[in-house]
Parts: sequence; C-alpha cells; structure tokens
Amino acid sequence: MKIVVLLSAGRHRVSGQPAPVPVELQALRLAVELGGEVTVLHAGPELGALADALGHGVGRLIHRVIADGDDPLPSLMAALTDNPPDLILAGRSGQGGEDAGLLPYSLARALGRPILADAAGLSAGPEAGTLAVEQALPRGARRRVVLRLPAIVTVHPAAPAPLPFAFAAMRRGVIESAPGISAPQAVEVEERPYRPRPKLIAKAAAGASAAERLKAATQAAGGGGTLLVDPSPEEAARAILAHLAALGLRRDG
Amino acid sequence: MIPAGTAFSLLILALAALAAGLVARRVRLWKSGSEARLVSAVGRTISAVSADKLIAGLKALPRRYLVDVHHVVGRDPYAARMHALAAGGLLGGSLLALAGLIPVLGMSRLFWAVVALAFAAALAGGFMVGRRRLPEKPARLSGGRFQRLPLYLAAYTGGGLLVALAGVLPPLAPQALLASFGWLGLALAAGGGIGLVLQIDRGPMRHAFAGAAHLVLHPRPGRFEGERATALAALDLDAPRLGAATPADFPVNRLIGFDACIQCGRCETACPAFAAGQPLNPKRLIQDLAAAIEPNATNAAYAGSPYPNARPVAGVGGPALPLVGAGAMIHPDTLWSCTTCRACVEECPMMIEHVDAIVDLRRYQTLELGALPLKAAPPLMELRYADETAGRPLAARTDFAAGLTLPLISARPAEKGPAEVLLWLGEGAYELRYGRTLRALVTLLLKAGVDFAVLGPEERDCGDLARRLGDEATFQRLARANIATLARYSFTRILTADPHALHALRNEYRAFGGEYEVVHHTAFLDELAASGRLTLGALGQARVTYHDPCYLGRYNGEIDAPRRLLDRLGLERLEMERSGKRSMCCGGGGGAPVSDIEGERRIPDIRMGQATATGAAIVAVACPQCSAMLEGVTGERPEVADIAELVLMAVEAAKLPAAQVLA
Repeated sequence: MKIVVLLSAGRHRVSGQPAPVPVELQALRLAVELGGEVTVLHAGPELGALADALGHGVGRLIHRVIADGDDPLPSLMAALTDNPPDLILAGRSGQGGEDAGLLPYSLARALGRPILADAAGLSAGPEAGTLAVEQALPRGARRRVVLRLPAIVTVHPAAPAPLPFAFAAMRRGVIESAPGISAPQAVEVEERPYRPRPKLIAKAAAGASAAERLKAATQAAGGGGTLLVDPSPEEAARAILAHLAALGLRRDG
Repeated sequence: MIPAGTAFSLLILALAALAAGLVARRVRLWKSGSEARLVSAVGRTISAVSADKLIAGLKALPRRYLVDVHHVVGRDPYAARMHALAAGGLLGGSLLALAGLIPVLGMSRLFWAVVALAFAAALAGGFMVGRRRLPEKPARLSGGRFQRLPLYLAAYTGGGLLVALAGVLPPLAPQALLASFGWLGLALAAGGGIGLVLQIDRGPMRHAFAGAAHLVLHPRPGRFEGERATALAALDLDAPRLGAATPADFPVNRLIGFDACIQCGRCETACPAFAAGQPLNPKRLIQDLAAAIEPNATNAAYAGSPYPNARPVAGVGGPALPLVGAGAMIHPDTLWSCTTCRACVEECPMMIEHVDAIVDLRRYQTLELGALPLKAAPPLMELRYADETAGRPLAARTDFAAGLTLPLISARPAEKGPAEVLLWLGEGAYELRYGRTLRALVTLLLKAGVDFAVLGPEERDCGDLARRLGDEATFQRLARANIATLARYSFTRILTADPHALHALRNEYRAFGGEYEVVHHTAFLDELAASGRLTLGALGQARVTYHDPCYLGRYNGEIDAPRRLLDRLGLERLEMERSGKRSMCCGGGGGAPVSDIEGERRIPDIRMGQATATGAAIVAVACPQCSAMLEGVTGERPEVADIAELVLMAVEAAKLPAAQVLA
C-alpha cells in the first residue's frame, strides 16, 4: 500500500520554534505501523525542522517549494496526482500556521476522494483495498469504521505517541525537493477582539448534584434509541426502518 | 640436577607455549574491534595506535598496577594479600623454576629452596582463594570455572613445592623416596598447570594477561595521573555509525577492558540498580560483552549472579552481531536501568569503564534505532524544539525567585565589569521543592553581597539528560548554543547548585570550546563562610548526614567542601554506610527516572534506609535530582534539606539567641 503523510509547518506550542506538529508525527507512526511504502509530503517555502520527520520512521520526504503565503493545495494536488497513493494521512489540524484544519477537506474535494476524520488507530480492512479505522469520538469513545481506499484520513491526538526520533535515520533519509505551483492567495483577514463564549453545561445535569454533573460530563453521549447486541439481519433491518419512520425519513412507509 | 626438577622446568616451558597459543587466539579476537582510542579528561578522543602511546603505556604499567590497581584492590585487605601471594608466588616460582634449566642453578640446593619458598607462598595464596569460596561461596563471586580455580592452584603450586623440596632435601632423606616425591609433584603440577592454562581462554586466568594489556592501553589514561577523567567522549556525529551495536564497533582497547574482568563482583554490590532488583548487573553486562566477541558466542558459560528479574534474551552473539535486543545478548531494559552513577567504575579493581560502554550502546539505540524507553522519548522531543525537558517556557525558569532580586546578566550595565559569578539555575528551578533551595541560595548571595547575575530566559538545558540517554546530537546542539550564549557575557565564574550542570559545564563543554571555571554552591558557600562574608550561627545539636551526589563526589571528586561547610554549622555530622566517592546513588541520574525500568524496590528508598540507619534527623543534599528522589520517599524518615537551606538557617540563627534553632 502506498501511503502519503502530509506535514505542515508547525511551531512548538510553548517556545514558538519551528517544529513538526505532534499529531502529524502520530499520523506518520500509524502509517509506518500499517506498513507499505510511506512518504511524507510538505508544500511550503522551506523545510526547516520538518526534515526531522525523517527521524521518525520514514525514509523519504517530498518537498514542493512554494513562496511564503502561497496556497499549498495546488502543489499538493500535483504531487499526489503524479503518483496517486492509496491512503493520504493528515493531522486533524496544524500548530502554528493558519491551522483551520480545513486543508484535508479541500484536498478531499479537489481529489474527489472520501475523507474520514479523527483516526486513533489503523489496520488492514477485512477485504483487500479496504482500511479499518478506529475513530476517536468525544469522551474517549471509539468507533470502528471500514473504509474503501483510496481515501484521506485525518489523525486525532489520541493516536499512539510518535515513534522516538532517531538522529541517524534523519541523516540517512532522502529529501526530494521540486518547485511547487505558485498560487498566491488573497488573504482577507478581519481582526476582532477575542470574545469569550459562555460555557455550555449539559442541560440534564444543570443544577443537579456534583456527582450527576460529573457523570454527565464524562459519560459517552447516549443519543437515546435502542441498543441491539448481535441482532439477526431481519431484526436489525426492522429496527432501522422503525427508527427512520420515527424520524419521519421514510418516504415509502 | 634432579630429573624431576628438569622435567618440571620443561613442563613450565610447555605450559608457557600453550598459554602463548591461547593468548594469541584471544588477541586475534580482539582485532575484530575498531581502532584503539584514548579519551582525554575533557572527552576528546584520540587514536591510541602509535608507538609513543604504546611505549608510554608499557612504561606506566608497573606503576598503574602497583599503585592504582592496588589502591582499589587494597580496600579489601584479604583480597590484596591473597592476590599478592597467589599471583606473586605462582609467577615468581614458575619463572625461577624455568631458570632451573641452567645447570649451575639446577644443581644448587639453595636455588631449589628459593623455588620452594615461592611455591609455598603461592600455595598459601591458593589456600586463601579456596577459603574465600568454601564452604560457602559469597554471592558476588562467580562459580563454575572460578570455583575450580583454587583446586588447580593448589595442585600446581603444591606440585611445584614438592618438586622443589625434592631438590632441597637430598642429603637429608633417602634418594628413592625423594625421587617418588618429585615425580608425584610433577604429576600434580602438570594436572594443575594444564587446568590453569586452559583457564586463560575462558576463565579466571584470562584477566591476568588481558588486565595487563588493559592497563597499558587504558582508554582513559588520565585516571592514572590523578585526573577524574569522567567526561563522556564526544561523538563524531558524521561517523558512518553512531554508537556501538556490535562488539566490532567497540575500539580494541575497550574489548580488552571487557576481557580484563575477574568477576570479583565488587561492581554488583555497589550498583544501585542491582540493589533495587532492576535487570542490571554490571559484572554480567561486562561478561556478556566479553563473551560476544567470539563467533557463535553464547552467554551460557557465565556462572555469577544473574541480572535481577532478568528479561529473557536469546543469549547469542558474535563479533558482527547485535549486542542489544531480545534476540541478542543484552536486553534493552538492562541498558536503561543504569543511573550512570559510576559506582561500578569506582569499585572496579581492573579499572574497567562500564559507564562508557553503556553510553556507547545507548547512543546506538537512541541515535540509530530510536529505540528509547517509552517515557524517555518525550523529554528529548521537548529538548529539541523548546530547549527544556518538559517544554516549559525558558522565561519561567526564574519564577521561583518571585519577590527576590535576581539580576539578569543581559541587563547588566557595561561599566560594572564582569560579574563575580554567573548563577546557572538548571532544571531544578522549575520544581517547587527545589525552588526553595534556590531561593535560599539567592538569599545567601544577596546577604553576602555577592555580585551575581543569571542568564534568565537565555539559559537552555545543559544537555545532561540528553547525553546520558544517548542523544548526543541534542546534547551537542545545546552545548554549542549555551557556549555561544555564555560567550556574549563576561563573568569570572559560573556558580551552580546542580552537579549535573556543573559536570557538563566544567568538563563536557570543553570538547566544544567552552572552558569555564565552575563552582558548586557547597564549595562557594564554604568560601564565603571562610572569608567571613557570611556569618554563621550554630544550629543546635541536630544530627545530620550528608548524601554525596554522584556527579559532585565521584565525577568531580568534591567531597570535602560540603562536609567542611556542614561542620561550620555546628551540626553533629554522621556518615552513612556508603559515603564520599563510594557513596550510593539516589536513583536520579542517567535518565533513570524517565526510563523508569521496573524493579523490586526503589533506589531512593534504599538510600533513605541507609540515612535513617545513621540516626540522623536531617539528610543534607546538594543536588536537585537527589533532593527530588529522596523527598519522594514515603513514611517516617529524616527530613531532606539542601545544604544551602541549612546555611541560610544558620545565617538567620546568627541573629537569634542560641538554643532557639532546630530545638
């Protein structure tokens, strides 16, 4: 399997020095442990500390050089369509740049591929050409999703810690630099003073005892409904149809 | 000339030839190592392959053996006497008996009397070897081939004695009896002698020639010239392979060092990780390294105490096969259990450098494989991008001093000239407990009117943790960055309360061009008290015991100043079972707290037990690591106080009426 991990130009959360983004290094670990041909890809003016990614288990880094402030999307697109990978991994958001976490979605739309967010674990799917993703949900819950490749998956900080850095591996790693596609973007930034938003407290627990509030804050959100454990297909189908009917979504019913 | 005497001389000649063959075989194995290298006191590496260096080493051999080695062996007087008798008598007697081939000597009764005397001494030594091991062998000594040593010694030296007596006694006893005496002796000597010589290949006798070669080519010759020589060797980061993966990656003179081990087990009794039941035994580690230089090596021949709670390994190796890993000789947990306290090196009578070997192996694991313990990787990552082990802001390092005057060196007016001292705060400054110590130190500096300054947000981590964990790349980057920062300011000396920073700044930065006079706060406060800049009151009759930090005592030889200072405070000072240069580690060095290898006990608990046993009410410490480790001991125990805190109490007590302090 061919996997490309996207790297963004990050900064250390405290020192502000250029640094790889931890969640992207976690994505790299998932890729390395999944196996296959793994490369990392960055589009930006310079690599700087991103070359350190080569010390975290990957041997090849592709760098598309673009001017500072250019939109990286066309360059990434070009690099990814040259030699299309089966799986593209990205962090759920960067750290230190513009960091909207939107780039993977723009890329998915541009490439016409499905995107799945917040993976905490990856393994080979039940059939060839599929991928089993453990998706991190709020409050520590996990959901297992099987996805048909090719696809884009973003990685959640709950994934295993990055592989330890190996200096000599970084030294051995290969960097392939090529000019990217110039795409100046009109940056329209409006500056507004920060306005703290009111904190939402779970309604059910508001005003209740401390224990109940804790329970409400820590329990996985149960959206109501019926839980069927290992149902027969007919039973499951009936339950789904009943649920859709209850929601008013069944046209033929 | 007695026939048995001549035959005995010929036997010795044959044994010597056999020994030479076995030695040559071992020497061929040593050649699989890389070029022999010497490490200077400041960690610069130079090649040892030159006629001058070899001749200098050979010339120094007798002194190194008789003075330096004896100094260590002599800590156990029984062992020293045993070795002098057994080795001296055996070698002396054998060489003399060889000279019996000269007809004039062979005919002389006086000559045989001298030979008899030498063998009698050797027999007595052999008897001491046996008595030490029988009926019950102490745990630190190895069994197997080592247990058979007294038998061979007795046979060979007893046989030699009989042969020599047959040469002395002729006029006093019947000829036939003496002849059978002589032949019996010869048979015994032949049996014992062959046993001994075969132990050259694998067994206790190997240390005799490997030890001599090790002393000639010792990787740290400075240790014999009175230097502490404890700075780790600077690694060339452009080398094709970083650190040691296989025996062949070790320089030849390090391989010789491993072979010099006599398995006396002094290291294992000194090792804090061994005592805590972590899977490290320095003796076994050196044996595994020594065994691995043979093709198709196994660790099966070892008969000493194992690694405590040993993790399973395949136990196979060879000159070009990996040393570390579950499928090799040494489990990684063994490597990461070490606190780099150097207690094993301090105890080793053969002057083997265990810590250097462990760091070389760690460097390969970290730099080439990235195979670090789970919890050791994040601090190194933070160091890479934030210059601080926990990724805390560098500007927050001075937060401990809120409310105190802490002048920044960058804000120092040029007309004030160089600062008297630059105070290096170190990692401990971020910690609440150690912050109290630093507050005490800063208060004392202010009271004594010392002209001092700090780097503030420009102070980066000194790199000690990175270096001990094998991350030489990060250490060198930090060292160069700190040296560049320090070069911008003028100061006379660096003062620090952290012995780890002291060791890095004083000894290890030299290889990168940073030469500073660095003083530890205990020595500095002692100076201030001696010169009258601080007036100390008496602290009542409290009983105190001082815990020597490894990086101050063993690494830098500073054991007197802290004691002198404590004595000035009017405290009753008690010494622990292990103190000074033979002190026991608190468990906080070498990255051991972040590696966190599981054992049965905690090292600081053991050390605190030793402190409690003295009956002291206070354990005086002088290092942020020791302070953190010992403060972490639960239950009823003496108070932990840094010497700076005690000095501050004494200074404040000088103003109070007596007997009100520490009542």
